Amino acid sequence: MPKDQVTFQGLIHTLLGFWMDYGCVIQQPYDLEVGAGTMHPETFLRVLGPQPYKVAYVQPSRRPADGRYGENPNRLYKHHQLQVILKPSPDDVQEVYLASLRALGIDLSHHDLRFEEDNWESPTLGAWGIGWQVLLDGLEITQFTYFQQAGGQDLMPISAELTYGLERIATFVEDKDSVFALCWSPDASYAQVRQREEREFSKYSFEVADKEMLFDLFNKYEKECLRCLEADCALPAYDYCLRCSHTFNLLDSRGAISVTERVGIIARVRNLAVRVASAFVNNHEE
Amino acid sequence: MKNKFLFELGLEEVPADMIEPAAGQLRKAVEALFEENQLTTEALDIYAAPRRLAFLATGLPDRQPSREELLLGPPVSVAFRDGAPAPAAHGFAKKMQVTVDQLSVVKTEKGEYVALKRTLEGRETPDILAAALPGIIASINWPKNMYWQESRFRFVRPIRWLVALWNKDTAPVKFEGLTAGAATRGHRFLGHSEVLLKSAGEYLERLRENYVLADVAERRTKISRELERETPQALKVISDPYLQHLVCYLNEYPAVLRGSFNSEFLAIPQEVLITVMRHHQKYFAVADENGALQPHFLTVLNTSGDPEGKIRKGHEKVLRARLEDAAFFWSTDLKTPLRDRLPLLDHVLFQEKLGSYRVKTERVCRLCAVLSPDKDLETAASLLKCDLTSDMVRELSELQGVMGGLYAREEKYPESVWRAVYEQYKPNSLEDASPSTPTGALLALADKLDTVVGCFAAGIVPTGSSDPFALRRHAQGLVKILFDHRLDQYSLPGLVEAARSILRDQLAVPDRVVVDVLAFILLRVRFIFQEQGVPFDVLNAVFAPTVAPIRVYQTWQKAQALMQMRGQADFEALAVAFKRVKNILAKQKIVLAAVSEADLEDPAEAELYRTFREIQPTVSAAAQAGDYLTALRKIATLRGSVDRLFDAVMVMAEDARLRNNRLRLLFEISDMFLKIADISEIQESGD
Repeated sequence: MPKDQVTFQGLIHTLLGFWMDYGCVIQQPYDLEVGAGTMHPETFLRVLGPQPYKVAYVQPSRRPADGRYGENPNRLYKHHQLQVILKPSPDDVQEVYLASLRALGIDLSHHDLRFEEDNWESPTLGAWGIGWQVLLDGLEITQFTYFQQAGGQDLMPISAELTYGLERIATFVEDKDSVFALCWSPDASYAQVRQREEREFSKYSFEVADKEMLFDLFNKYEKECLRCLEADCALPAYDYCLRCSHTFNLLDSRGAISVTERVGIIARVRNLAVRVASAFVNNHEE
Repeated sequence: MKNKFLFELGLEEVPADMIEPAAGQLRKAVEALFEENQLTTEALDIYAAPRRLAFLATGLPDRQPSREELLLGPPVSVAFRDGAPAPAAHGFAKKMQVTVDQLSVVKTEKGEYVALKRTLEGRETPDILAAALPGIIASINWPKNMYWQESRFRFVRPIRWLVALWNKDTAPVKFEGLTAGAATRGHRFLGHSEVLLKSAGEYLERLRENYVLADVAERRTKISRELERETPQALKVISDPYLQHLVCYLNEYPAVLRGSFNSEFLAIPQEVLITVMRHHQKYFAVADENGALQPHFLTVLNTSGDPEGKIRKGHEKVLRARLEDAAFFWSTDLKTPLRDRLPLLDHVLFQEKLGSYRVKTERVCRLCAVLSPDKDLETAASLLKCDLTSDMVRELSELQGVMGGLYAREEKYPESVWRAVYEQYKPNSLEDASPSTPTGALLALADKLDTVVGCFAAGIVPTGSSDPFALRRHAQGLVKILFDHRLDQYSLPGLVEAARSILRDQLAVPDRVVVDVLAFILLRVRFIFQEQGVPFDVLNAVFAPTVAPIRVYQTWQKAQALMQMRGQADFEALAVAFKRVKNILAKQKIVLAAVSEADLEDPAEAELYRTFREIQPTVSAAAQAGDYLTALRKIATLRGSVDRLFDAVMVMAEDARLRNNRLRLLFEISDMFLKIADISEIQESGD
């Protein structure tokens, strides 16, 4: 086993290498704040329409409400997902996935691995799928989904989406009790690389963020998204949809949204996502 | 050797709670197929595990029995001329590919016909199965389906392989791009990925060698045995039938493993610990003889064991992280007193038209005040939904209510208050107990009543499969509370009216809604009674619209008394007579007035009136006391007098004075009956 494999970066390197060898396009993280790898256009837009595609990338994922000021050993404002899309899903997709775990040096015959029902759904993206959470000795390490709908569109062919929770897998492989104790590299701990970021962004999203400005931004982003759609610019429109989504998450963690408003705002973001998806598909068909 | 047919449908992991119902459907479909094709079997075994659904039929015949077939041809009058076959006969023989002398003559209702009798050879058993299996697979109904390939076939999870064996040979089954073979698959990590079966009969054994226990009974036994073995001395597993069922279908090769957690976590309430273990991790909790939780857990693995202790360490680590979260929520939640959370409920929506949980709390408080002046009830009602804003409930929503009760207990509210909050969602089902205290019963009653009437007023009415607010369960719960606590001081219409008058400050509640809600609740009462074995005619008698208003426990007592009286000759005869009384009265307008004794001209009517006056005080006192059996027995003594009246007297006499007096007499009697039940609904017993 190469020495760097017991580090966080080594783990990422091995997994990306595995999927590169499998024939995936290796993409880069999307350069906007997103809550999950699914929101990267390489997933949300690529699963639409008929073209086959295989892609893998790491996506730093921000969830303002999950922030714990860098003090909780397992909860983070920002965690890392490694996302794989296989379109169409191959018949042996589960076996290939299990091979990727073996590539990490996990001997599955000495562990308790199971696929337990967990159907993924994103109301803001108008997307859902059928699948499992993959549990390794009781720890959820991957969300495995057969995408059924995105942006309100029925999908065909069906894509398989594998979302690895990298911090989870790393604490398992490195046998650590806290994510902050992980070795990011042989010389730097996860805490050294990220703890300050956790503290400051938690503080920002729970205490500092300017609600009025965020509401204002939300409205402006929404308007710009619609303007882009009118100009047949589906991809820029999607950027603004993502900005709306993150702004909503910030407002939510700030406690600025009542339950009644919440439903309405989710519906507004979904409306954008649905319109982007249909514009994306229609432009392709022309 | 007996014939055996094996079929296995290989799947990606099917959700645990969907497997058993599907196995039941498979059994029914295969049994129907066998019956339809006259195939007899000695045994039909169904095997169901996360990755497979299979059946093994033993003792099938080689082929269907052959059967006689009769094909009618032309009438004899046309087919024969002067005793010789005419062209029509030849034509028929040619069509059937036989010679004329093979035809015979049969008599039918329409006359004599030329016919061909022939024997149809039965089809071979494996052919029948191979042809029918695709239809059987496709007919299995799952709660949720998915697409996975271009064919757009939908199923619970992707189908990956098929096995179909007729003894030693593969049977030609094709489905969704797959061709059945003899290869099944073992456990994902411990067995071979391809296990070639030499014959249908070795299925279970070969899979067992490959760490798959295909038979759920085997898995169940292994789990029970190991749960017992792994439970530390003097302790016991907290019984959890649902979880026990689930783990049988989560694993192909279950093994029980014991783990522990730091006993410092026992400071968190037991309810929270059990929920974290059960809900998130599917662990069994362990308690001592007194029911006190112990810092151990039992988990069911999908593997053969854990010799190095790695798996245990992993599970313990995951549980520790979850318990740390729970401990954090418990301590931070306690920093905000429940009462201070009331304003926060403004932000938690109950339902769009019915407002926030704060508004709901206010309605329930007002409703409680109508039900009882109990001060503890008032306090409990004000705290009812406060736990919805706690971190613990946000994380573990199934603990709502329970957490409110626990926080109230920590804040030193009296037991009748915290327990009422704690038990507010009880009863959860017909089997579950109602809240244990009188205060708790009224609180849960008020909450459910507000939900049911409120939702109907807001236009949320359960239909077929859709009941988003679980109104059936709520209505059933409120009925069960009224029953268990014998709350007969409240009639159902009275309760609905009380809820309505409070809701009216917020939204219109038209009469139609009241009618619908009452009918909906009454249906639940009927359903519960029916489940308890009350026959239909008795239900019709006690729930007749003329018998009003319904008080749940009282109605139950009436039904019990009627069930005892039913079948007695006098009572049944009286029921028939009462039907006559009802029919007469139904057609008449009666001017209410006392019966005039002077106008009771005929001895029969005078006698009936006398008997009626004699029994009436006893009947009404017994009914008042809930002793409906005595009341009905007394009523049954009227039978002779009623019969004699109908024998001797024309009720509808010409003389209006006599006629009206008789009608009044019947009306009074009928009125006495209807205070208990409409006994005209009682059917004569069969014998």
